[in-house]
Amino acid sequence: MNSLIGLELTRALRNRKFLFFSVLYPSVLFLLIAGSADSTTKVDGTGLTLPTYMMVSMASFGALTAVLMGNSERIAKERESGWVRQLRLTPLPGRGYVLAKTASAAVVSLPSIVIVFVVAATVKGVRLDAWQWLALTGAIWAGSLVFAALGVAIGYLASGDAVRPITMITYFGLSILGGLWMPTTTFPDWLQDIAKWAPTHAYAALGQAIEQSQAPHAKDIAVLAVFFALFTGGAAWLYRKDTLKA
Amino acid sequence: MTTTASVVAFDQVSKTYGTVRAVDGLSLTLHPGETVALLGPNGAGKSTTLDLLLGLKQPDSGTVRVFGTGPREAIVAGRVGAMLQSGGLMDEVMVAELVRLACALHPKPYPANDVLARAGIAQIADRKVNKLSGGQAQRVRFALATAGDSDLIVLDEPTTGMDVTTRQAFWATMREQADQGRTVLFATHYLEEADAIADRVLVLHRGRLLADGTAAEIKAKAGARRISFDLRDSIDEAALRALPFLTHLDVSGHTVRIQSADADATVHALYGLGAYPRNLEVAGLGLEQAFVAITEAEEARTR
Repeated sequence: MNSLIGLELTRALRNRKFLFFSVLYPSVLFLLIAGSADSTTKVDGTGLTLPTYMMVSMASFGALTAVLMGNSERIAKERESGWVRQLRLTPLPGRGYVLAKTASAAVVSLPSIVIVFVVAATVKGVRLDAWQWLALTGAIWAGSLVFAALGVAIGYLASGDAVRPITMITYFGLSILGGLWMPTTTFPDWLQDIAKWAPTHAYAALGQAIEQSQAPHAKDIAVLAVFFALFTGGAAWLYRKDTLKA
Repeated sequence: MTTTASVVAFDQVSKTYGTVRAVDGLSLTLHPGETVALLGPNGAGKSTTLDLLLGLKQPDSGTVRVFGTGPREAIVAGRVGAMLQSGGLMDEVMVAELVRLACALHPKPYPANDVLARAGIAQIADRKVNKLSGGQAQRVRFALATAGDSDLIVLDEPTTGMDVTTRQAFWATMREQADQGRTVLFATHYLEEADAIADRVLVLHRGRLLADGTAAEIKAKAGARRISFDLRDSIDEAALRALPFLTHLDVSGHTVRIQSADADATVHALYGLGAYPRNLEVAGLGLEQAFVAITEAEEARTR
């Protein structure tokens, strides 16, 4: 399976468009949003400055982009082209394909997280303890697995022309609801109530808790765990259905 | 594993899609070292048969064994290499990278450079997979199917998209595989391919095995000979139809075409009718006509 991960990675690194959107775009967006903010304004109810707050949002957004986009469109396309069938004629175990896709997406998502951190620290002077930087990287990276599973599920659910709009709607919906682009405190109350339960909201909240020197909230971890179980279960079911049909 | 064991064994295998019986009570056995052609018109069940053989589909009833185990186990053990018409290729990677992947995944791999050379794609090794012509892509698929020392090679319409010269070159490569003692099963609709390469031909029609034998036996089964001649006088069709060993009669204008299981007896009886046939020709039936005759007879029987 390592050979497949290697080849998936080689391919991802060659794809400049994908690299730009998953690795550099979050940092560019961070600078656009946090660029004009001074480093003392606090985001309501968090005790964090806007650059600190947006740093976690954009790192989460970058990881989300890499794993969701990396999985859903490619899997749908390769199901259609028959590459998935061809791989089933090799000794590679069935789930090996999905694991290889997720692993290579995770390798791409790591630099996107780190680059946002580097830009935030150097350009906007965000300062955290060493353990916080490490914990943030680990939490955001590990949390992205939830969305990798969602990407796999979408990849096996939709095909052809449908996959891109479905991915985009999910992607923008989750990004906005999770407060990755702007703090959810700016939303009307009813939307805030919904947003609280979005997996992306819980995802970003992990990082914010670490920035506040707290342990992540049990509720956020529970929300992420439930969505992870849901997405993985859905992906496994859709995968099996597709395998029987093919 | 003993040498007499079967390579592939289908026992009463059926597969239905909705109301269509794609494969209908199919039983067949492939033996080590055979080169077998799977022939049949579109919709005969060739692709479904191969999918069942490779474990891509599960039969509704009956059993499929490959080297005495389930298809998936045989693939995991590296005993089966296959290329499917519907098998896509990973895009945005180079040919050599893809072949190296196939070698890495195979339990008994050959060196990637050998695989590339043998499939005749060494000179396009650094091309992007998505920039290949149809024939080149077929060769890459072939390379993936022969990346390791498999005992059975399964090919679904392997020469689709190739021109005549590359097709012939391809079959030379294919024959090398068979000469190394491998069992080769290929589905095709090019009958001359089956005739020239296979030492056994399976004719599939509506999911059932219609004929199983050498190309020569299949031709014999269809009525061995074709007889054609012109008659100047009026033609008594009833009398012609009553000729011995006649299997097929076609009268158009003054020209009569007959297929016969025993041409000598038929021609002898023809003169016995007092007829004076001109431009008489007796020729062997090509596999193509044999194939048409067999499937037509079956259509007529089941109608």
